[in-house]
Amino acid sequence: MRDFVVVGLSHRTAPVEVRERLAVAPEQLEEELREIVARGHFDEALLISTCNRVELYGVSMNPTAAAQSARNTLASRLPNSTSEDVFYSERGVAVVRHAFRVASSLDSLVVGEPQILGQVKEAFDAATNAGTAGTLIGRCFSHAFSTAKRVRNETGIAEGTVSVSSIACELARKIFGNLDGRRTLLLGAGEMGEGAARNLRQTGTQLHVINRSEARAEALAKSCGGRAIPYERLTTELAEADVVIASTASTKFILTPELMKGVVRSRRHRPLFIIDIAVPRDVDPRIGTMDNVFVYDVDDLQQVAEQNLAVRAREAAQAERIIEEEVESFLKWRRSLELAPTIVALRKQFGDVADEELRRALGRLQGLSQSDRAAFEAMARSLVNKLLHRPMMHLKAGAEEPDGAQLIDAVRRVFALTEHDDAEGKTSIEADANVRQLTAVTAPGRTGESK
Amino acid sequence: MKSGLFIATAALYGIACVLYLALLTRGSASMRRLPGIVFVSALGAHLAFLTLEGPPPGDIPLADIAQILSISSFGIGIAFLLASYRFDVTVLGAFVVPIALMLFLASGLGSSYAPVPPRVESAVLTLHIGANVLGLIAFALAFGAGVAYVLQERLLRRRQLSGLFQRLPSLDVLDTMGLRAVLTGFPLLTFGMVTGTFWLLRANGAEFYVSQMLGLLAWAIFAAVLVLRVAAGWQGRKAALGTIMGFVCTLLVLAGYVVRAAGGNA
Repeated sequence: MRDFVVVGLSHRTAPVEVRERLAVAPEQLEEELREIVARGHFDEALLISTCNRVELYGVSMNPTAAAQSARNTLASRLPNSTSEDVFYSERGVAVVRHAFRVASSLDSLVVGEPQILGQVKEAFDAATNAGTAGTLIGRCFSHAFSTAKRVRNETGIAEGTVSVSSIACELARKIFGNLDGRRTLLLGAGEMGEGAARNLRQTGTQLHVINRSEARAEALAKSCGGRAIPYERLTTELAEADVVIASTASTKFILTPELMKGVVRSRRHRPLFIIDIAVPRDVDPRIGTMDNVFVYDVDDLQQVAEQNLAVRAREAAQAERIIEEEVESFLKWRRSLELAPTIVALRKQFGDVADEELRRALGRLQGLSQSDRAAFEAMARSLVNKLLHRPMMHLKAGAEEPDGAQLIDAVRRVFALTEHDDAEGKTSIEADANVRQLTAVTAPGRTGESK
Repeated sequence: MKSGLFIATAALYGIACVLYLALLTRGSASMRRLPGIVFVSALGAHLAFLTLEGPPPGDIPLADIAQILSISSFGIGIAFLLASYRFDVTVLGAFVVPIALMLFLASGLGSSYAPVPPRVESAVLTLHIGANVLGLIAFALAFGAGVAYVLQERLLRRRQLSGLFQRLPSLDVLDTMGLRAVLTGFPLLTFGMVTGTFWLLRANGAEFYVSQMLGLLAWAIFAAVLVLRVAAGWQGRKAALGTIMGFVCTLLVLAGYVVRAAGGNA
């Protein structure tokens, strides 16, 4: 039976040095996928490659062998010293669940982060373009996207920002509304300050950089798209800025109440948002009590991040329930997909036997009238229908159960039914309709010929 | 006995209040539109009430304090809808809609308030009342923005950044909205004060002494808020607190009239 396989590694199992060796550039994805399928183990394949994970999803007739070959291919790109433990692999339902969790950002480093869904969509597009996404992968991932949407809409998993620099940005937005045209003053050249400044710059604020070393200020301003300002102009710049990010290496307070009193007066009480990312701090906490001046230090921001993370963790439990519901709904589709061709094949097998026997019998019975022949034919059909009625009913009911796939598989093996791949190309609606139609025909009351 | 329409309107306003409060405090995404829908139907019922039970067409419906209160409540509702469309401040309904409800209920408290004063036909008096009603509407919005500003600023200072903080608009939006509303309301209030004084002098009565003083106080507060904003660049919390105080004074003036009218009737 064709089944899902996933082999990969992520931030949970492998350090960045390992992950980056396996990362596949977006423009090489399609080629890579074609090669994987060409090697023969996989009928369908999809490759997700982000900075936090590299995962190969596939569908194979021989999942165990396919998983092993994928593992070997991936491992061959790593130095020999790397442990095999960095890889994980799953089969069957676990793959579907994993895909749903990844797309819903439940498996992300920062649970609830929004980028992963876009990255999975890109991976899916690449697989579609490469022609390696067939019915199963296609359906699994479009179901993963709708699951991710449901998780996002019905839980608070994506609420609240969790990185320090984006929290700073969000706070600035809550103070100034639109940040377009506002001015950020970056004081010092700390790494975190730079990150926050970059984030603010992206929201449309102007960026001015002040540093004791002017060369450093120049370099930083250049890399962030800002302007370097000489240190002597600190007071003027403070009077004009809306957001100040302090991240100098100074051991003393740079922004003191004495300095800020004059600044606040000359800015005519316009609101000022000061983010003190430096350790030790650059901003005297007493400034935070001044009217229209809001001071947040790194601990405050960290605390907000932790609160938001805690909220997300709570919401994640709710999200897991949604995932289970959706996995179940996917499996139902999958079973209906297998049920239809199974019923078709079973009916065909019985029908062929009946036809063959009828042909032989009619060959021996000469001189039958037209109506006699019709009666024989009706009897043969009716016999098939009646014999199949109960098994069909039980098969259909059993397929709805969680272990329905096994029942279908058992029936296929008992009657030695071969794969009918043509039916798999149909959509689930067609497949469902197929099932209904086929089982309706086998109901005894409907087989008028037998009466 | 109050008509069914009055009760229905009051009930709808009440439900809208509860829903806006729920939107502010709980804010589930599924009910974002619900308070607005209920509030618009409350305004619809109110309009029907004004049309069916107000004075005959042609008369300005400001003849007695009940009508003034009812019209003010309706005006606040309409102004809030416009403002929430313009500034995206739907959650402020939690502060503004209760005021509309309160004024509407007050309009029906005494089943028949005495017609305010004699000589209500006087054009000066109509202008006085009209200007003050419009001023009141503007200040009600300024009040809503002011309360939200004070609350939001407090949350920001105390680092309580989840839930409520997320749902309230940004300080800048609230401050701008408050400033614009006061800028609109202040000239109307000034005009109302002038016409009122003019009418009072002609009527030759000094009986509205307390109301006059409160009105003057409200005017002075709003004047101070504006002058300090423009001259000293005052903004933020102090301006918001000033606006709230000014609005409370205007409400007290109105309450004075209500008490007088009800007392006059008794």
